[in-house]
Amino acid sequence: MFDLLPEWMKNGIGDDLLFWLGYFTNGKHLAWYASVQFTLTAAIVGAAFALLFGLIGATLKNSAFAPARLIGSGYTNIVRGVPDVLFFLFFPLAFEQLAELVLAQAVCTPLELASASGRWPPCADANWYLDTFQYLMLACVSLGIVYGAFTANVIHGAMRSVPHGQLEAARAFGMSPAQVAWRIHIRQMWVYALPGLSNCWLLLIKSTSLLSLLQIADIVLWAERLGAPNFTRSAGLVHPDWRWYYYLVLLIFYILLTFASEKVFAALTRRASRGMAVASAD
Amino acid sequence: MEIFVPIVTDLEFLAKPSLFNLYFAFASIPAGFVLAVFMALGKASSNKLISTLSRGYIYAFRGSPFFIQLFMFYSMALAFNMSLWKPLGIDWLMLHPLFLGPAILVLNTTAYTAEIFYGALMTVPKGEVEAARAFGMSRVQQFRSVVWPHLIRIAWPAYTNEVVFLFHATALVYFTLPVIDDQKDLMNKAGELFERDYNAFLHFSVAALYFLVISFAIFFVFGLVYRRLMRHLPQVQKIRFLPRWLG
Repeated sequence: MFDLLPEWMKNGIGDDLLFWLGYFTNGKHLAWYASVQFTLTAAIVGAAFALLFGLIGATLKNSAFAPARLIGSGYTNIVRGVPDVLFFLFFPLAFEQLAELVLAQAVCTPLELASASGRWPPCADANWYLDTFQYLMLACVSLGIVYGAFTANVIHGAMRSVPHGQLEAARAFGMSPAQVAWRIHIRQMWVYALPGLSNCWLLLIKSTSLLSLLQIADIVLWAERLGAPNFTRSAGLVHPDWRWYYYLVLLIFYILLTFASEKVFAALTRRASRGMAVASAD
Repeated sequence: MEIFVPIVTDLEFLAKPSLFNLYFAFASIPAGFVLAVFMALGKASSNKLISTLSRGYIYAFRGSPFFIQLFMFYSMALAFNMSLWKPLGIDWLMLHPLFLGPAILVLNTTAYTAEIFYGALMTVPKGEVEAARAFGMSRVQQFRSVVWPHLIRIAWPAYTNEVVFLFHATALVYFTLPVIDDQKDLMNKAGELFERDYNAFLHFSVAALYFLVISFAIFFVFGLVYRRLMRHLPQVQKIRFLPRWLG
């Protein structure tokens, strides 16, 4: 990659540094850097799903209809009582199986369906091979389900922090319940929810390190591949076990991501609480 | 009653693996607790160097995923095997998952617990500490009779949460560390059962049930301890189940 540089520049950089620059920009390393996209996509799309599920969960928990309340609190309590990795593995598997079950009814012959006890999928045609993008989307949804439960609690609490006077004033203006909810309640809720949402986001970005469990070639998998002892018959031992250096880089990457997120959320909170009499404003 | 048969069989299959999760959690709780007290005191220390080091440690371990920490320390243990553990004759210990797993969990939980204890330490009323000083108590006496009782009562509900999340984190240990013979934990065993008959709904739900039940048992036991800690008060607030916040 650096062969094209002019001679004077190569001399300035020096052979040693040039070698390492070349090593860290070889094809595999570039693939490693590119795989950050999976982590960031999972974080952002997962957060969008989490917000969606959080809003649904909070609505259910706020509902006047008792069974809806039960579903809402059941969702938040069960998901939080179980490790995130379990849901992370279970949801894509379960979704794939359900899809294959539906597919099997359509493409398999009745004979195959009847004779397939303990075999999955019932016939070869019903096998659904997921590609990386599909796995990534399933991972995003399962992150959304897990952190949606946390988000639901945050939003539920924030909804109750909106001062009653604001809602009463809106009703006094003659707004319908839907208008009060949408124009006043949900809009004012964000300020109170931001600190909690920031925490949810920080938990979520840390969970994106689990992507490699779903066969996605993310930064963790590439770090493992690049750092593993490299032995070739012609060159001998190219390098010994370097894995922990690569994991250290990932550790620092996540710490920086956390640091940046904290800064962004602090700025958001300052902006959202302009002119509002909340404790976080000062 | 026919439909309960596979569930009961799974409950039996997963009983022993659940002990490994419990072992990982309870082997790391005592050391994590003690280290966290020192780490919290270090963060609050007036010594700039100690304070910065503790602060950095806590931030680094809370700001990065446990999954990566596991990978990093395991590959570190492997990398130092020939140069360090073998000459010292402790390679059988350093590479054993039943030692390495709790050791890495301790590093992680120390940071989270220290942050909880540090937060509680900040709420100790200044007047009480000054009163203790006025009595002529030494630093150790001040800590034992004034700071610690206040700190542990304030921190206990959050610490309960941390223990539950530590228990949940044990699900990740065997994704990284090698499984020796049949020393499988809940996730391993559920995965193995799944590969046998592809019944994801049954096996993962029963594993989830184990996690849920043990989590609630931890809440119950820690709630009893909390009641005991707060016995001087007329009524005790219940411990609420909250996620492992960073902030």
